[in-house]
Amino acid sequence: MAEQRIFIANRGEIALRAIRSAHELGLEAVLGISVADRDGLPAREADRTVLLGPAAARDSYLSAARIVHAAVATGCTCLHPGYGFLSERPELAELCEREGVTFIGPSSDSIRRIGDKLSARAVAQASAVPVNEGTEKIADLSQALELARQIGYPVITKASAGGGGRGMVVARNPAELSASFDTAVTTAREAFGDGTLYLERFVEVARHIEVQAFGDGQGQVVHFGERDCSVQRRYQKMIEEAPAQILSQAVREQMHRCAVALLGSIRYRNAGTVEFLYDAQRQQFTFMEVNARIQVEHPVSEEITGTNLIRTQIQLATGTLPPLRQDAIRMKGHAIEVRIIAEDPARDFVPSPGRITRWDAPTGEGVRLDTAVAAGSFVSPHYDSMLAKLIVRGESREQAIDRLAAALHAFTVEGIATNIALLRFIVSHADFRANNTSTRWLEAVLLPAFKTQLGRSS
Amino acid sequence: MSKLPDHDLEALISEFERSSWREMHLRVNDIELILAKDAAPVYRKLERTAAAPQAAEPAVRPASGPVGAPVNAPAIAPARATPAPPPAGWLLVRAPTLGTFYRSPKPGAAAFINVGDEVTATTEVCLVEVMKLFTTVRAGVSGIVREVYAKDGDLVEFEQALFLVEPRG
Repeated sequence: MAEQRIFIANRGEIALRAIRSAHELGLEAVLGISVADRDGLPAREADRTVLLGPAAARDSYLSAARIVHAAVATGCTCLHPGYGFLSERPELAELCEREGVTFIGPSSDSIRRIGDKLSARAVAQASAVPVNEGTEKIADLSQALELARQIGYPVITKASAGGGGRGMVVARNPAELSASFDTAVTTAREAFGDGTLYLERFVEVARHIEVQAFGDGQGQVVHFGERDCSVQRRYQKMIEEAPAQILSQAVREQMHRCAVALLGSIRYRNAGTVEFLYDAQRQQFTFMEVNARIQVEHPVSEEITGTNLIRTQIQLATGTLPPLRQDAIRMKGHAIEVRIIAEDPARDFVPSPGRITRWDAPTGEGVRLDTAVAAGSFVSPHYDSMLAKLIVRGESREQAIDRLAAALHAFTVEGIATNIALLRFIVSHADFRANNTSTRWLEAVLLPAFKTQLGRSS
Repeated sequence: MSKLPDHDLEALISEFERSSWREMHLRVNDIELILAKDAAPVYRKLERTAAAPQAAEPAVRPASGPVGAPVNAPAIAPARATPAPPPAGWLLVRAPTLGTFYRSPKPGAAAFINVGDEVTATTEVCLVEVMKLFTTVRAGVSGIVREVYAKDGDLVEFEQALFLVEPRG
């Protein structure tokens, strides 16, 4: 077999996961780091580090030229982009293609086709995947008002160039749309460098359900089940679980078929996620977007299928993956992931970087922690504030919740503020246990109750 | 930073020579030692660079004995220069960006500067190339060049020391 060496173009827990998965496969791992990450756990476990640039991500983790230069100069044959940073920028994939480095992800062409949301919607429609009623790109406010009238209120504005809630505003009437349209354009332009918006009918009570898929780039696509990521704040996921217990088996299978058909139609390569909005009342789902990368919440799918998806990603890139077979993927049990974040829910979720003085993480049956921090770690203000992913697995959702509650109870972090108290509160809430949530639940129901409780205890 | 005492190293090597092992990998804290009896080891390992640039780790390099492939030996990528601390008051010219280091403006041309040359803040000292984009590096300091740390064609990392300059009296 040809010698393979992998370049990791990311940081934190996903970098560590990629390094360890590479080592399991007998590959060497070179890690690109910024000045802020010299002393991190990933830097210690990598076979070699290359200092890309300063702490500011712009000249380090967001510099495709430096990253690919470093990968080529250190003799790397493939590159793992992780999530965030440049993972979904076609420029990185394209530069890798040009320099003969295998990008561990889809082709730059695929990223372009489904990275733009309007183009992705067209791909979905062509594969007979149900899409929400919506518009093409909107030129200005007057056109937006006219189109909104045709679709019917409430409507939601969306940025064509990206997700994460930026450029998304819900309007219930023409006055609200007029008031928020320009801000949405500006926000989208600042976030993605492209202010193009489109409109969709807004589903009031919806759940966010997504299918983990994996393609071989030759047209064969399999799925690893779905995840329910409805507990989110401002479109940022906080808790994810697999499977989505809200779905009937018939709807679940239909959703899986749609995801596989969509990605199969573009001969998608490597890991990807197809996101859907699910209307629980009507038992209908509509296509939302494709995430052309591995996602933060992939571990819950790993837990119910017994597959290391990062390793699978690397195996596909290095040509050592056996042919994909759907009937070889079995799902069992229930898994839940919560994101441990360095932010203070009591102070409007202000980020809380700094030195971790105590880190007592839970262990036990069915408990897994994906993290790159420990006691003594410094949480840099330059990057995303996620510290760890706590993942629990159980035979049933009930058992998983019980284990999650116990694990969160045993989790102690000092030196910086975290959202652990909020997560405990969510997990002990009757709605969460009854699986009676929606994408609006956290902000509309849970957070007001949490604030009341904080007021009582202080 | 830990260091393997030389006598321990010698003992390890003779132990390895007597053994029936064909290869040995040893890692003690920051030092990694790879010994192999084949003339060409199956696979040349990467040198392991310290995450912190101030580390001045001496290369573990047995003078004789079996074919040693210490991890600091040039592998596919050049070893990162980790110079000893310069005399007090001397100045380092560092790489402004990660890239490939070039001592001359084009192949075959004379080097921008050599040891013993005098530089001022605006003197061009080298090129650093990132994906075909060349950046001219200027000394930024005045004095006499006393050391050139990087080699032509080396991958240099962000802020890696390239030149040592002794300031003028």
